[in-house]
Amino acid sequence: MPNNIIEIRNLRKVYHVGSEKVVALNHITLDIEAGEFCCLVGTSGSGKSTLLNMLAGLEKPSLGTVRIKGQAIEKMSEKQLARFRQENIGFIFQSYNLIPTLTALENTAMPLIFRGMPRKQREALAREALQRVGLANHMAHRPTQMSGGQQQRVGIARALVSRPPIVFADEPTGNLDSKTTREVMELMTSTTRDLGQTLVLVTHDLSIASYADRIIHISDGNIVKIVNNRKRLAK
Amino acid sequence: MKFTDIIGLALKNFLRRKVRSFLTILGVTIGTAAVVVMLSLGIGMSEGFEKQMEMMGSLTTIEVNRYYYEESPRGGRTEPATIDDKVIEAISQIKGVKVVTPVMWRSAKLVSGKYMAWAQLYGIRPEALEALGYVPAEGRLLNPGEHDMLLFGVGATQNFYNPKTSRWGNPGGRPPVNVMTDRLELTLDDSYGESWADPNKKPAKLYRVRTAGILEPVNDQMDWCVVVDIGYLQKIVREYDISQGTFSRDTTSYEQALVKVEDVHQVDYVLQEIKAMKLGTFSLQDILKGMKEQLFMIQAVLGGIGAMSLLVAALGITNTMVMSIYERTREIGVMKVLGCLLTDIRKLFLWEAGIIGFSGGVIGLLLSLLASYLLNRFGGDLGGLIGGGIYAPDGTRLPISVIPVWLAAAAVGFATFVGLVSGFYPANRAMKLSALEAIRNE
Ligand SMILES: Nc1ncnc2c1ncn2[C@@H]1O[C@H](COP(=O)(O)OP(=O)(O)OP(=O)(O)O)[C@@H](O)[C@H]1O
Ligand SMILES: [Mg+2]
Repeated sequence: MPNNIIEIRNLRKVYHVGSEKVVALNHITLDIEAGEFCCLVGTSGSGKSTLLNMLAGLEKPSLGTVRIKGQAIEKMSEKQLARFRQENIGFIFQSYNLIPTLTALENTAMPLIFRGMPRKQREALAREALQRVGLANHMAHRPTQMSGGQQQRVGIARALVSRPPIVFADEPTGNLDSKTTREVMELMTSTTRDLGQTLVLVTHDLSIASYADRIIHISDGNIVKIVNNRKRLAK
Repeated sequence: MKFTDIIGLALKNFLRRKVRSFLTILGVTIGTAAVVVMLSLGIGMSEGFEKQMEMMGSLTTIEVNRYYYEESPRGGRTEPATIDDKVIEAISQIKGVKVVTPVMWRSAKLVSGKYMAWAQLYGIRPEALEALGYVPAEGRLLNPGEHDMLLFGVGATQNFYNPKTSRWGNPGGRPPVNVMTDRLELTLDDSYGESWADPNKKPAKLYRVRTAGILEPVNDQMDWCVVVDIGYLQKIVREYDISQGTFSRDTTSYEQALVKVEDVHQVDYVLQEIKAMKLGTFSLQDILKGMKEQLFMIQAVLGGIGAMSLLVAALGITNTMVMSIYERTREIGVMKVLGCLLTDIRKLFLWEAGIIGFSGGVIGLLLSLLASYLLNRFGGDLGGLIGGGIYAPDGTRLPISVIPVWLAAAAVGFATFVGLVSGFYPANRAMKLSALEAIRNE
């Protein structure tokens, strides 16, 4: 009996640009299992980011529903959503999006600050997360004092620090070279597996997609192919 | 988010743009300093007035006059009124009245050997002297019913001169007559012994008098008067009028009455009661009230000038905050995506603006304290210009600018408040920013 942490039903998103309608997502129906590493691939403009943002509750669907842990997130208020994200969702960005004035340690602890966790406790957790991503020696560095790969590691640590059951990543290696991409992908795969997290990752690079348990091909707002590659769930 | 974290993050952001934060703070600093210094001048003036009042006489003394100002819709009219013994008795019955005495003046001449002095006789009931605050510097006060006895104001002892030489004693030196010991005579004919005296005038009586004492200076016209028992003054005036053939029975009213009230807070009530008896009144409190109203106006104008610069500073804060939100759009979006509550984002920016206001307030206050010190130390001439520069009875100059603790606290509090208000619009704007838009513009 599969344990579906994310259930997408008939999801549709239509943008209105002037008098034109842009169908970013047509009818999407998809289940994602807890602990799964799921990759969304497709050409530019196919609707991958739109889908991911909707899963994170950053955008409301035009039609259909997204249920995470049984809760329909499009029905939540802004405040409920913020709390929901604090507890359930980690986010990794293509351009890292670290806060330039804060050190690696402080950046990593951000999600915990929003929860109101006391300094000592959150710094201990952040330190642990940074150790996990191999940045034990860079805790006091600011984003401008780190390479792209290191910044993305901090981004990963930030997404892990509060141990959310789900991590979303939108082209996390888009700005990295191939060697660093490999390192970061391996890091993300291993850490989310170790922590039992569900990882949903957007990319248009099929070599990256090969790390995933399941590859979902999207084209023009529709799922056109699903490839099972169940390394992770088989274990 | 915890409050300490909000303040901590706001502080970090505030320190991030040092030059811009500094310039914004500078605006608040100048605004705060302007308000505080302006108000401190007003307060200094106000305190100066009060001290001046204290010097001029007691606030618990009421003058009652024998005319009454009748208010009417077509403008007031002055009506004559009478102050006789019955009125005095009625006033003494008013609650809060400590003592009441009728008052009478008469100019007279004092003669001592070849020296003479013009004297303003001041008739009063001796029992009121102590209550009115008169203290003997030499000798004693008068006793009730004591005739032929004088009580000198300190200035009045210096008035003796020799009419033959027209020389004023020894200027600056010892007066030619010692009123305590020398032989003294009193006459109500103030042309007595003068070369310009009317030769056809009937000679007035000379009364042999003695001195009971000399009063401590009180810094008003009383220093130049010679106090006598009012009964005695009435008696010699009657005798003089009879001798000159000008006596009339019509002089039933005293010229004035003085009322001493037990406590400052009762003065208003007593004033109302006396006015209700259709008598004119005058009290330093009336002046003080008028002065205070005027001062309030001055303070409002001065404060308004300061407030104007604070308003400009507030616009500066809003501008700075809008700018920094514009620059930090992405950062705000990321925070939202990471689960920061919208209200926390608002608080973050609100407090950043609050910190600008607070620091500006503190620095502005320090600046005002310095300005206040310099004004009081070196601003003597300026003080004269704006109505300060008043001296206390002991000769020390009263401060032109006074910053009480409440003003200091209010200044910092208000500057912080101005910061928070200025930050309100930008903070709301930050809160409403679309997280998606923010993270999308890669
Ligand atoms: N806010 C918006 N307003 C109008 N159209 C939009 C908006 N956001 C996305 N779209 C449109 O929706 C479609 C899907 O966009 P989306 O960003 O999801 O593509 P993507 O698959 O993530 O592409 P890429 O790989 O280039 O990031 C595109 O045609 C895009 O132009
Ligand atoms: Mg995209």
